[in-house]
Amino acid sequence: MAVDGDTDRTLSVDSRGRLWGLHATLFEAGLFGATLFGIVSLCILFGYIAFDAFQPLTASIRWYLLIAGTLILPTAAGTLYARRQPAVRAANAKAFGVVGGALVAALCTYIVVDALSPYDVALVLLFGGYLPAVFTLLVRRTNRTTQLGPTAILSVGGGLAIAHGGYDLLRPIVGTAAQWIAYFAIVTLPVAFGLWIVGRRRWTRQTARRAVLAVIVSVLLLVVLALGLGIDPSFWVVLLSVGAIPVAVVIGEIVVLDPAGRLGAAGPFVLIGCLSVFLAVERQLGLEGPDGYLTTTLLLESWHGLDASSAGVYPQIVGSIVIVGVMGVLAFPVGIGAALYLEEYAQRSGWRGRVATLLEVNISNLAGVPSVVYGLLGLALFRNALGFPTGIVLSAAGTLGLLILPIVVVSAQEALRSVPDSLREAAVGMGASRWQTLRTVVLPEALPGMLTGTILALARAIGETAPLVIIAVATTKYSPPDGILSSATVLPLQIFAARSNVDPAFRHGIVPAAAVVLLVLLLLMNTTAIVVRNRFDRRSQQ
Amino acid sequence: MSSEPNADRESLQRNDTVVRTERLYGWAIAASALLTILVTVGIVLALLGEALTFWSAVSPLSFFTGTKWSPIIDGEYGLLPLVSGTLIVTVGSALIALPTGLAAALYLSEYASERTRSVLKPALEILAGVPTVIYGYMALVYITPLFQGILPVSIRLIPPGLEPLPAFTLVIPSLQTFNVLSASIVVGIMIIPMVSSISEDALRSVPDELRAAAYGLGSTKYDVSTKVVVPAATSGIVASFVLALSRAIGETMAVTMAMGMSPQLPYFPNVFRNLAESSQTMTGAMVQIASADSLGGVTYEAMFALGLTLFLITLSMNVAAELVRRRFREVYQ
Repeated sequence: MAVDGDTDRTLSVDSRGRLWGLHATLFEAGLFGATLFGIVSLCILFGYIAFDAFQPLTASIRWYLLIAGTLILPTAAGTLYARRQPAVRAANAKAFGVVGGALVAALCTYIVVDALSPYDVALVLLFGGYLPAVFTLLVRRTNRTTQLGPTAILSVGGGLAIAHGGYDLLRPIVGTAAQWIAYFAIVTLPVAFGLWIVGRRRWTRQTARRAVLAVIVSVLLLVVLALGLGIDPSFWVVLLSVGAIPVAVVIGEIVVLDPAGRLGAAGPFVLIGCLSVFLAVERQLGLEGPDGYLTTTLLLESWHGLDASSAGVYPQIVGSIVIVGVMGVLAFPVGIGAALYLEEYAQRSGWRGRVATLLEVNISNLAGVPSVVYGLLGLALFRNALGFPTGIVLSAAGTLGLLILPIVVVSAQEALRSVPDSLREAAVGMGASRWQTLRTVVLPEALPGMLTGTILALARAIGETAPLVIIAVATTKYSPPDGILSSATVLPLQIFAARSNVDPAFRHGIVPAAAVVLLVLLLLMNTTAIVVRNRFDRRSQQ
Repeated sequence: MSSEPNADRESLQRNDTVVRTERLYGWAIAASALLTILVTVGIVLALLGEALTFWSAVSPLSFFTGTKWSPIIDGEYGLLPLVSGTLIVTVGSALIALPTGLAAALYLSEYASERTRSVLKPALEILAGVPTVIYGYMALVYITPLFQGILPVSIRLIPPGLEPLPAFTLVIPSLQTFNVLSASIVVGIMIIPMVSSISEDALRSVPDELRAAAYGLGSTKYDVSTKVVVPAATSGIVASFVLALSRAIGETMAVTMAMGMSPQLPYFPNVFRNLAESSQTMTGAMVQIASADSLGGVTYEAMFALGLTLFLITLSMNVAAELVRRRFREVYQ
């Protein structure tokens, strides 16, 4: 950035000059210290939280030796090896990304669908997803492709209306099927369809067809196996469809197409192997791990205000995920629409230009409005004007959606601005209309940037507390939400509510552990955003 | 959309369905843009409606000049204690964040290598991404006990028999469980990135010719940074300060959790007592009203009056920051 100014040393070597040199060095060190101040303070505070949540001093030395031997050493060796081989490193990153991502996706899908009742989700998906898709495909055959968009939107709307209106009639019919059939419809069919789309583009049509067939057959085999053993197959259907199939596809592609990086693809599986060795040895030797508070009880049970050993935050975790998900569904289309208007439709002159300027100024001001004020807006809008009951998912999601709207708009605008004009000109030159240009050229190019911005906005929303307190979302709930009209609570609210509990097992145990859970959720979302952005960057460089 | 090479003028026109569909999408997109305006209108209307009802029950004069805030117990709606709490925590956090943020911006823009910058800049941004409820918890449970362990030491410096001379002894009282100091520290930490990233943009947009000219006159790097680059970027730096202060004023969860719920007028002359004792901000009062069991009545409307005041303060600060940035920006050709 700056021009190098150190050449004056040779010009003045007297004592005064040397003193100046010391002065300058101290100044630079001070600036560096100031830069680090906030980061280091935060690290220390995180250290306190982690210490309280994990209680690392309660474990024996032998336990740490075991963990070093079975987990850290192999990981370190693998990392050192992979650092020298770019192909291995790339494949390794890809493999870890897909294994971690697919596992998280499978778990989230299962807990959300389980909370919302699989039959309801299947019903909505059947009428709002499958039937419109079939209908749209039929319209597509009739060669009037220009009506495809409106047809799709109208049929989804109509399907949802039918599902809503005929709920009392349809729900018992859907309810007669076994639960795993509902999960099969919710999870396996979309995955198979996605595989068909991806596979047709990447491989041959025939391979894609075989892959889809293999997916369906393997899921059905799993169901037969589970029923034979007397286990409920629902969870395993989700795990296989969402968790294992993307992994199999990506790892398979690496193994077949990338001989140099093949070794890297083994990384996550070696780690899983190490983990199982560790668990086996730990149990065999009877070693005591740390007696921390981040336990399966915390993750899977509901809150208990008096007994720390049975307190959990499962309803809060599910509530956070559901509210943030509904919020994303509400805010993403509106935010993208507003950004499209500002970047692609708005005129720069006349009264319309003035409207566009007003919109820009308004959005930058909305971004600076304190989040409590959005809570008041939500209270007035959803409770007083629309008459919703207090604390339901829809009003919480709507309030947070208004809060993140400016962030989504601004990031989508940046993504649209980064699409080169030459692409637009080429499309228009070939006779595409404005919307056709947007749909076929601009939006696909800008989509990863928009997604990155939206995921970051979701990450901001998942930690947001003040507006939810204002709209009177319940701080403690003992069951996860079972629909968008049922009441729910979120993780940060539980942390806020538990602040006055002075029992050390809560104050220096359960609450820090809940904070760790919240931070891990945030970290996952930010990692997703970074992965999406990096893929996008790599593609645009090519 | 004709594929015929020799199509006449008629068939080059788009057919009606396409035109109509285009118009439909255009309207849908314009509608979603309009929705962002409606959000602002909604905020103003929602706040104004309830606030006016409140001010018909409690006169605006007694609201803005009252010195006691005790809505639930006494029905006293005096704003000044809350303004004082907000100001003290804002000043406290500004003392931490403004120098630190500016120094960080200067380091990142003038001194750091590209590699260091690529590590430190995202790390600084993390400070703003941590949920404020976690900051509040850290202030309450970790920072306050830390200072409680230090501060009683300095309190023993005052000999008990010398009451007539309090102004000459530095009294830093021991911290209460809820105190302004810890809240100021966490709010200060969380607004550092606001100062540093906007200031850094301003510093980096100073053209290299100015630096080169200063070096050519024999300046050292220190001189160039402090006497050329920072003055040239003053407007951007001031704007970043104002925005960060506005963020600190609107900050809610951390101050609610760490500062407690006892609104106070400021103490004079012992300013340290302001930091050591519990207080309440405007946002904290809103949270307290909202978490009370019954929502309704004058107290409920007072929340909207507070919200309107807060909205107007932060809005005017944001507008002021934008004006400063536009008005006093040095334009280099």
